Formats: sequence, C-alpha cells, structure tokens
Amino acid sequence: MLVVVEHLTKRFGNLRAVDNVSFAVQQGEIVGLVGPNGAGKTTTVHMLLGLITPSSGRIALFGKELHKHRREILQRLNFTSPYMALPGRLTVLENLRVFAQIYNVGNSTAKIVGLLEQFRILHLSNKPIARLSSGESTRVGLCKAFLNDPELLLFDEPTAYLDPQGAMQVRDILLELQARRGTTILITSHNMRDIQRMCGRVFFLNRGRIIASGTPIEVTREILNEHRVTPALDEVFLRIAQQ
Amino acid sequence: MKSYRIKAVILRHLYEVRHNGNHLSNMIYWPIVNIVVWGFFTIYLRHSDRLQPGLVNCLLGAVILWGLFNSFQRDIAVGFLDELWSRNLVNLFASPLSVSEYVTGLIAVNLGKAIIGLIAEAGIALLCYHYNVFPVFPSLLPFLLNLALFALAVGIAVTGLIFRYTTKFQTMAWSVAGLLMPLSCVFYPLKSLPEWLQGAALALPTTHCFEGMRAVIERGAFSTSHFAWGLELNVLYFVLAAWFFRLMFESAQARGLLVKLD
Repeated sequence: MLVVVEHLTKRFGNLRAVDNVSFAVQQGEIVGLVGPNGAGKTTTVHMLLGLITPSSGRIALFGKELHKHRREILQRLNFTSPYMALPGRLTVLENLRVFAQIYNVGNSTAKIVGLLEQFRILHLSNKPIARLSSGESTRVGLCKAFLNDPELLLFDEPTAYLDPQGAMQVRDILLELQARRGTTILITSHNMRDIQRMCGRVFFLNRGRIIASGTPIEVTREILNEHRVTPALDEVFLRIAQQ
Repeated sequence: MKSYRIKAVILRHLYEVRHNGNHLSNMIYWPIVNIVVWGFFTIYLRHSDRLQPGLVNCLLGAVILWGLFNSFQRDIAVGFLDELWSRNLVNLFASPLSVSEYVTGLIAVNLGKAIIGLIAEAGIALLCYHYNVFPVFPSLLPFLLNLALFALAVGIAVTGLIFRYTTKFQTMAWSVAGLLMPLSCVFYPLKSLPEWLQGAALALPTTHCFEGMRAVIERGAFSTSHFAWGLELNVLYFVLAAWFFRLMFESAQARGLLVKLD
C-alpha cells in the first residue's frame, strides 16, 4: 500500500474536523476524497503533507511513518491546490525554477519547458504570476506538481477555477500523465463529474467521518440505497448535503 | 540540510529583489537617506565650539552599524512575510524544504543585502562627510558580527510570533528595532542613561556593541569585555529565539495555522 491512514483524528477545540478516518491507497490508483464543505477532506490532505499535526492516528506513506520520515516522503510526492498561490511578482519560469531547485530536478529547464508545453502555457513563461488568470495559475500549479516526477500526487480541487473546456483539457492531461507514469493520485473535489471520470475508488466524507467507500457505482448504490447501472455521485452529494 | 534547497531559497528571494522595488529601496535608498540626513547633522555639530572630540565620528559610525542591525532583523521577518502575503507558505512547507534550510537561505540573502546597505552608507560617509570608517573596520568587525547575530535572533523570534499569531504581529517586523533602540545606547554612552536603566541596557548585546564601537572610534581601543559580553548574551538570545520559534511553529502546526496564514 502506498498510503495507509489509520484512525486519523484531528480536533480543533471541541470540533472533530477529522474523526477516526482509516483508508488505504494502492500504487497506481486514482482515489477521490469527496464530501460537502467542512467534511474534513482538505484537513486530511494537509495532515498527509504534515502541515497539520494529527490529534491521534497513524499515517504511513511509501511504507514509512510520516512523522519520522516527513522530508524523505515529501521528496517523492507533490501537491497543488488553486487556493494557494505562487509569489506573484516572480514569472512562471522563475517560480518553477525555484521549485525545481527545491526538488533537485536534473535538467530542470527542459523539464519545465516540457511541462509548460503539456499544460499549454508555454507562452506564459515570462509573465508574472500576478498577471495570470485563475485558470492559468491553476495550470502553473499543476506544472509545479509534476516537476519532481512524483510517485504520489495530492490534488485539492484541481479544476476549481477552470472553465468546462479547461477542466476537460486538464482532466485529460492528468489521466494521460497518470497512465504514462503510473502515478498514484489522491483528489479532493466538489466536482462529482471530475471524480466520476477520473477515480477508480471514492471515499465519501461527512462531518469528519468516512460514510461510504468503493467504486463510484458502489458508493452511488450504497448511499442512494437503490439499484443503479451508472454512477450518480452528483445525486449522492446532494443527498448527503441535505442530511 | 541540503545546499541545493538553501540555494532555492536564495534564488527565490533574489528574484523577489529583482522585481520588488520595496526591497531595492530598503537595501539602498533608505540607508542612503539615513546617512545623508545624519551627515548634515554632523556638519552642523562641527560648527559647535564645545564639541566633544570624536563625537561626530561616533555618530556616523552608530548610524552605519544601527543601519545594519535594523535592516537585517527587519528583512529576515519581511522575507518570511513575503511568503505569507503571496500565499506561498503551503507550497514551501508541503515540499521537502525544512525550516532550517529556509531560514539559512533567508539569512544568506538578507546578510548580503545588509552588507550592500552598509557599504553604501560607509561610501557616502567617506565621499560626502570625509568620515572614513574603513581603517577602523577590522576592529569594528567583531561588533558588527555580534550585531548581526542579535538581529538574527530578533528576526527569528518575530517570525515565530507571526507563524503563531499570523499577520496581527507583522508590524513587529518594522517596530522591534525601534523598541530596542533607547536601551541600546546607539548614539549616546551607557552612562547617559539613569542608573536604574543601565542594568537593563547591559542585558542587550546591542549596548555592548555600541559601547565597543565608541571605544574603537574615540580611543582606537578594542574592548574585549564588551565583545565577550555581547557574544555570550547573543548565544543565550539565539538559543532562546530558536526554542521560541520551534514552540510557535509546532503550535501553528497543531492548530492548523500553517495553511491559514494570510
């Protein structure tokens, strides 16, 4: 197992943001962590990155305990979220050069140019980040995420700021890159169409707990409690949000 | 610590200096304005009949040394604030970059900036006011190093506060040097302070640095005791600052503040 999470709990005062969550992800899988606002998805991802200290529970990545081998683990994964940014005055190329240096990427210029071409933003290389649209910034974040050829990618709402066409393009690129490199991907999203299209398995969270897990069709049947032949995660999402 | 990650931090902040006019003005413009204003003041003082020998040189020396202390401690904290303002902290701390690598890179860049400011001030003092600090520079160097160490300790402590209490404490980056200034005896000797304040002043490494500086400039004497006291206090403050920073960082991690710092 590439990711093992056991009895993970995070309390902020009286609030249990994540409550006794356990799951595992195999190498090469694309897994979705979904649920309404406040479900605990992002807090879980932040704990997987060591940005938030868990109140209790265990996290092991690549067979190593996160709290003991954090930096070694972080060298082998990457993360992006449209809710964080890169320094606005620096150009796209400068920002990516800094992160290539952090990850000690060999032949970094060729690597960066290749990724910029792949995400169709090569023409923005010398533009400061502050002058990019939200969609363009998201694509730069995705380039940053692939810089170190990660074995594990954590995406927080990867298509949040993209228009439908942009979202489709990015989804296709991610799927193609994943198929080519066998990268394991853990995605959090509100966009059930993305999740249905990309993820082999889904963990549905609500109020900090996993309430359903399995393939999109299994989760659909379990939550809607009826026989379906196609997944309907949108309906599942609404049902849970209404509860 | 990996040198390539420290190099990444240096690269990131050098790019910032290249694009951000505030950094250039802090590095060059303000030190120059400072020395020009004080330079004119010393010209005025030179016309006084009862001028104490060496006073003018001590004033200009103090302006130059205080400039280094002030800019170094401020820029350490502001360098971190740059990450916070640009919402880049999560990118950095979700990478293998460690806090010690980050701080080391920040120190390297800002020490370089402070030295550029110091050279600019010393150059202007020489060219415009005929005050040459360079011959006494070797004797001043140990005090400069002590000032830089204390600036580092203060910068690290302020950064820790910002980690834990977010931007509520960001004004500390600019104001903390001002708070220390009255007790640091920058422009006047220790004996000018009321006796009950002298003990508190002697607890600051800055006071020993400026007392030592005056001994060098006025009498050409190197005060080993002021240097040693300054260094010992610096070791104490540095250990305290590092411990405090760690405490604040771990508290921020536990409270989930690292991902909410803006």
